[in-house]
Order: sequence, then structure tokens, then C-alpha cells
Amino acid sequence: MSQSYDRGLVEDFGRWREFSAGMWAWVLHKFTGWVLIGYLFTHVAVLSTAVYGSSIYTETIRELESLLVVRFLEVGLLAVAVFHILNGVRLLFVDLGMGLDAQDKSFYASLVLTGGIVVASIPTFLGGQV
Amino acid sequence: MSTQLPESERPDADGESTGTSTAQQGRLERKRAGTAERQAREESETAGEVETVPLEVYRYDPDVEGKRRPRFDTFHVPLEQGMTVLDALIYARDEFDPSLTFRHSCRQAICGSDALFINGEQRLGCQAQIADLDHPVKVEPLPHQAVEKDLVVDMEHFYEQMRSVEPYFQGGASEADAAGEEQLQSRENREKIKMSTRCIWCGACQSSCNIAAGDNKYLGPAAINKAYRFAMDEREGEDVKDHRMNVLEQEHGVWRCQTQFSCTDVCPKDIPLTEHIQELKREAVKDNLRFW
Amino acid sequence: MAEHYSSFDRRGWRWLLQRLTAAFLIVVLAFHFMLLHFVNHAAEITFAGSQARMSQVGYFATMLLFLVTATFHGVNGVYNALLNQGLDGTAKRVVLALLVVASAALLLQGTRLALALTGMDVSL
Repeated sequence: MSQSYDRGLVEDFGRWREFSAGMWAWVLHKFTGWVLIGYLFTHVAVLSTAVYGSSIYTETIRELESLLVVRFLEVGLLAVAVFHILNGVRLLFVDLGMGLDAQDKSFYASLVLTGGIVVASIPTFLGGQV
Repeated sequence: MSTQLPESERPDADGESTGTSTAQQGRLERKRAGTAERQAREESETAGEVETVPLEVYRYDPDVEGKRRPRFDTFHVPLEQGMTVLDALIYARDEFDPSLTFRHSCRQAICGSDALFINGEQRLGCQAQIADLDHPVKVEPLPHQAVEKDLVVDMEHFYEQMRSVEPYFQGGASEADAAGEEQLQSRENREKIKMSTRCIWCGACQSSCNIAAGDNKYLGPAAINKAYRFAMDEREGEDVKDHRMNVLEQEHGVWRCQTQFSCTDVCPKDIPLTEHIQELKREAVKDNLRFW
Repeated sequence: MAEHYSSFDRRGWRWLLQRLTAAFLIVVLAFHFMLLHFVNHAAEITFAGSQARMSQVGYFATMLLFLVTATFHGVNGVYNALLNQGLDGTAKRVVLALLVVASAALLLQGTRLALALTGMDVSL
């Protein structure tokens, strides 16, 4: 072996167009997972205002909820959580060795269901006193 | 020209044979017909009537000045019915550029030497029909392995992972073996491991695996499937199975599988790789529960 | 490669726990969203309301378990993601230590918060 050429990992994510269902499911599951753990830390941090008194807690939440951006971010969070839950159910079945032949269909189903649930929830999330 | 002639150049024996002619006459006749056909084809080629397939091939050669930086060469290969990517590569090498390098041997998806990255998917060159592919057909060496030259990659790491699971039968503990008899396997057990025995070590799965690409120590789908083939074989003793599970249960063993199904999607022998890996995960958990 | 493996190194428990916490989280996360966005609108949440919920032993215990399982599931998921990318050697030990510290901090603060929401004075 004189010399060889390492093409590296370039072709991995550069080839996203060729990803199959299982690969997309994994990418989205990891992405939503990162968002959720990030949110968990933020969530605890925000609610920690409760430690410094009941009125600060209530006011902080009121103020955040009065921002339209926050409402939209919450819809995003819902989408992320719902997908992670539904695809998580799919993965639990895969782990049990059930329905492996339909793994691509179950991924599409979880995508569609996520979309449906999120759209149906938008009025509740954006409505109320802004 | 390679040893295999494309269909249209092969003389049509049935049409030529006449009851009275001797074997020698027959051969001569076939030869003449072949020559005529070839001439006709060459003529039509120059007239630009032959349908060709554009083949974009990855080229790299550390020993040649102009090829140290990888590039793509396009070959226009005359299309034949039933032509595979391997056939087209052989044609390109024999007719256009003898330095074009790729591995191949049996041409029937058994030897596992021509796994390539064709139009963005790991496939066997000999199994990929040109007719099923979008044009131009882009042929690259398997991703995630160092390229030696053109389409030839370094398979050493793959073989090392395969060897690490001790890919050979370790019976020997049974009464049958002690008595010097054949170690028979039950029909059900054979059926269970049937698909896993079909692996031809082509490395397509390993190359398609996103995790194997990132974590170099990950055993990878092929090696785990190979381990499955023996771990699930009832003729091996408990201690051997324990030993095998021990290898698979390591951090870089079955747990790294993220069920992306890439390996299962590309396996040219249709082995349900993900299913086997998942079964081994459950087996490992059950094993460990016993010790708790 | 075989010689690199030792029998003291079985990692199946992390895989199993990830699945068990997942099953629990599916239910509780869905419940959490329903309760705090649909039953009670997020904008109408007050300390008094939170205190009323957190004062119920069952709810309090569920939320605390929610915190613990979510922390494990999330941090273990992050660790797995990094292992998949080939994290190894010293970097791996450092990352693991960091993640353990972060988890401990989150659990501590989360517990403190949970107690504060019952009306207990936990200010330092």
C-alpha cells in the first residue's frame, strides 16, 4: 500500500437527499432529543424563579407567555415533543423486534400524526390572552 | 476484450445450425456472422446510432501525476440489454481506459468483491442493472474506506471487524463430536440462522452505516450478523455462546446500532441485519438479567 | 480487535434503562403537555395553581420521577450520540464527568424547585 485517499465523512450528511426513511427517523429523533434535553435545562432554570417568591414566578410566566415569539416557540416545542414521543413508540417496537418490515411506514405515520396533532393544537397554543 | 462477449456479439447458434453442416462449418459460419454483426455495429456506432449510457467513474491514483486529486471521468458505454454496472465498467476498461481499476470476480453476486457506491447507494456492480438506474450512472468507491486506486478501497478494517467475532464454527463440545460423528442441526435452528449465513463479506452494509463511519471501533452490521449466525447455532456449547455474547455486549458492540436500517436497505443478499442485531440486544439484556 | 474486550464491561443496562425510561416518559410527557397547555392554559399558570398541584403527594412524586427519568434519558441520549461519533479515550472520560456533573446539578436544582413549589422555603 503506497498511499490512499481518505474521503472522510463528507459524503454522509452531504448526501441527505439519498437518506432513506430509517436514516431520516434517526436524524430527526436525535435532533428532537437535543432540543428536548436543552429545553429541560431551560425549563428548570425559568421555573426556578419560584425559589425567590411566588409573585416573581407568576409574573415571569405571565410575561413570557405574553410574547408572541414564546407562543410560537411553544408550538415548535410541541412538534418536537410529539415527534419524539411517536417515533419513540416506533423505536420501542423496533427494539422488541416487532414490525421491522414496516419501519419506513411507521416513520411516515409518526410524521403525519405529528403534523396533524400540531396543527390541531395551534389554536390552543396561540389563543388565550396574549 | 474480456472473456465474456456481450449478447449481441455472441453468434446465435440456433439460427445458424443446419442439419447437414459439420461442426467445423458451423463454427466458421458463426464466426462470419459474428464478424458481420460486429462490423454492422461499428458502422452504426460511427453513425452515432448506438444508444450509450454515460458512466461517471471516480478516478484516483496516488502514483499518477494527474490523478492525485480525485476526479470523475465520463465513459459513454454502448448499452446492451441486461447490462449491469459491472459489465459497463469492464467495457470501459477494455475499450477506453485499461488503467481503470476495480475489483470483480464471479459476476453473480457470490464473491462479494464488487460492492460499489452506485448513484448514491451501496450495491454490487454485478447486481445493479443499468436499466434500473438514473442516467448518468455515477460509480464511486465504497464510502468510509480509504481509496487505494479508482474504485478499489482498503477493506482491511472491515475484515478485522469480521475476524474479531471469530467467524467460524466452534462446536466440539457435543456428544456427536466426541463420538466422531456429524454434528447435526435441527431444521428449525437451520431455518433461524438461514438468512444470516448468506453474507458474502462485500462490506456494503458497513459502508452504509452512519455509526460505523463515526465510531471506528463499532463492530458493524456484517460482523454482528456473522456473530449471530454462530451465537444462534444450537450446536455450539454454552460457554462458546457466552464468549460470543461477551464480545457483542461491549460498548462498541450491538449497543451502537441505532436502527437506521441503512444496512438492511443495502444488503445485496437481503439479510435482515437490523432484526438480527436487535435480537442480540434483547438476548444480551436477558443474559445480564440472569446475573442480577 | 477481540483482545480489546473484557468481561467487566457489559453495557446493556444503559440500553435497557433508556428504553424503560422512554416508556415512562411517553406517558408522563404527554400528560404534562395535556395538563399544562390544554387543561390549564400556560398563560394562566400562577404560583397558587402550581402549589395546589404540587401539594398532592402523587403529583409531586410523579413530577420528581419525571425529572429523574428525563434527566437520565436525555443525558444518556447525548452521551450515546457522542459515542456514535467516535468519542473515545480521555475526551470520553471528561465528557462523561461533565455530563454527570450537569445531571447532578439539574437534579439538585429541580428538586429544590419542586420543594419551592410546594410552598417550602428553599432559598439559600
